[in-house]
Amino acid sequence: MSRAMAFEKISSTPPRPRPIGRVNWLGLWTLYRKEVMRFVNVFTQTLAAPVVTALLFFAIFNLALGRAAPAWEGVTYEEFLAPGLIMMTLVQNAFANTSSSILISKVQGNIVDVLMPPLAPWELTVGFAMGGVSRGLVVALAVLLGLLPFAPIEIHSPLIAVYFAFMASLMLSLLGMIGGIWAEKFDHIAAVTNFVITPLSFLSGTFYSLERLPENWHIAAHVNPFFYMIDGLRYGFTGYSDGDVLVGALLVLLVNVALFAWAHRMMATGYKLKA
Amino acid sequence: MSAQDPREALGDAPRVRPIGRPHWRGLWTIYRFGAVRLSRIVLETIVGPILSALLFLAVFAIALADTQGFGGEVSFLQFLVPGIAAFAMIQASYEMAAFPVVYDKLEGTLADQIMSPLMEWEIALGYALVGATAGLIVGAGVLAVAWAFVPLAFANPWMVVAVAPLAALAFAFLGTVTGLWAQKWDQLSVVDTFLMLPLAFLSGAFFALDRVPAVGETLIRLNPVTYAIDAVRYAVSGWHATEPWLALAVVAALTVGAASLSLRLFSIGWKIKA
Repeated sequence: MSRAMAFEKISSTPPRPRPIGRVNWLGLWTLYRKEVMRFVNVFTQTLAAPVVTALLFFAIFNLALGRAAPAWEGVTYEEFLAPGLIMMTLVQNAFANTSSSILISKVQGNIVDVLMPPLAPWELTVGFAMGGVSRGLVVALAVLLGLLPFAPIEIHSPLIAVYFAFMASLMLSLLGMIGGIWAEKFDHIAAVTNFVITPLSFLSGTFYSLERLPENWHIAAHVNPFFYMIDGLRYGFTGYSDGDVLVGALLVLLVNVALFAWAHRMMATGYKLKA
Repeated sequence: MSAQDPREALGDAPRVRPIGRPHWRGLWTIYRFGAVRLSRIVLETIVGPILSALLFLAVFAIALADTQGFGGEVSFLQFLVPGIAAFAMIQASYEMAAFPVVYDKLEGTLADQIMSPLMEWEIALGYALVGATAGLIVGAGVLAVAWAFVPLAFANPWMVVAVAPLAALAFAFLGTVTGLWAQKWDQLSVVDTFLMLPLAFLSGAFFALDRVPAVGETLIRLNPVTYAIDAVRYAVSGWHATEPWLALAVVAALTVGAASLSLRLFSIGWKIKA
């Protein structure tokens, strides 16, 4: 076969467009993989640092309490604190993943590379959100493993624990997307992180039972989804809860549906994404 | 133009400005450059650290307040406020010195400073002074806000004046050294995560040393951060776990050590010049 014939054979079969079904699985998988590789690449900042921070919090609270550790209904402070720290770390990291990914892409201008491929708005929303969910869950698991040697962790109801861990990382991933799309510079997202996400993750019952708060704060706590996420995960671990776990489960589900619709709407209209 | 005009006599050539050592104007210029840069992102550099220190304070106060006793001399909050202020100051000093060094190195603008008629050690001093300034503002901010809720005695005011700038400078100089060492952000984050964060947390900032098991106490007494925090706490509340003079001496020694190391490394162009 001559070279010319071979060439002709190639040129007579141009690459055909890949038929895309109802769901662009390859595109969705590619976006998800990109989102995961992004945080895995810098794992000292995205995985090691949060885990070390959580372990240090665990250490200083136990050192400060010493042997005076109070117990709630048979739950020691160590058992009480561990799920709180896991949820705090999960929340902060899920938010950081999507917000930084989208904002950096916007600032650097490579967001077009994500918007150009044949991905539907809902596929973009799911792809980004699942990247954040993965980071949240991986970090949570790493904190759990790191705490195991120091805290007597028993899982009371694994399904409830997994439900709240998943819902919380989804909620913060979606919030991170919304924040990342809304923000125009790093200052904006730093403000949201510093003034909203970090305070809520610290003050919503991570380190103490809400019974320690003054009466009039209880109402505020009971409309705070962060409280229900921490409380729900704590119930999954210890069987102890401050609030109603079923109410919490429904509330986080509703909030997630609303946030998904909001994030999807932003992707569909191209708010602050497309000129 | 008259013949007496000195500019004509010199042929309009710019004259060489005599530069002494230290090069005050150059030092002031890079200090101002660094300070203005940090002030443009004041939310991340000053407000964020103050807020997160106040969050620590709130969380400790709510979770632990009734479990701690200090023999009636000081309340738990009076014990905690200076500790957390010093903790925030040390972290901010370190970071606000380390981040700019890494950033300028990666962006290549460190070369612009080295080309200027500044000695390398003057450049190091500039970075450290900027970091220390940021740290002092953060520490003062934490104290000021906390003062609105917790009565602070300022038992030994001269000690604040002596120890706070020294400690801020010490950790800022350490920041310039790790900044110089790190070739990328990831490496800086490794030092942060596995060295600075544990040193800052496992010091006497959050708990009294006598609560810790004996082995832990020995380790914590080997941690220089403990002395910086204890000296600040002595100054603000009067309560102390170590001898105030010893604490001040340790901080001073650390400052001298960190400063000599940093100035030396900049002078030989470690990791800067090929």
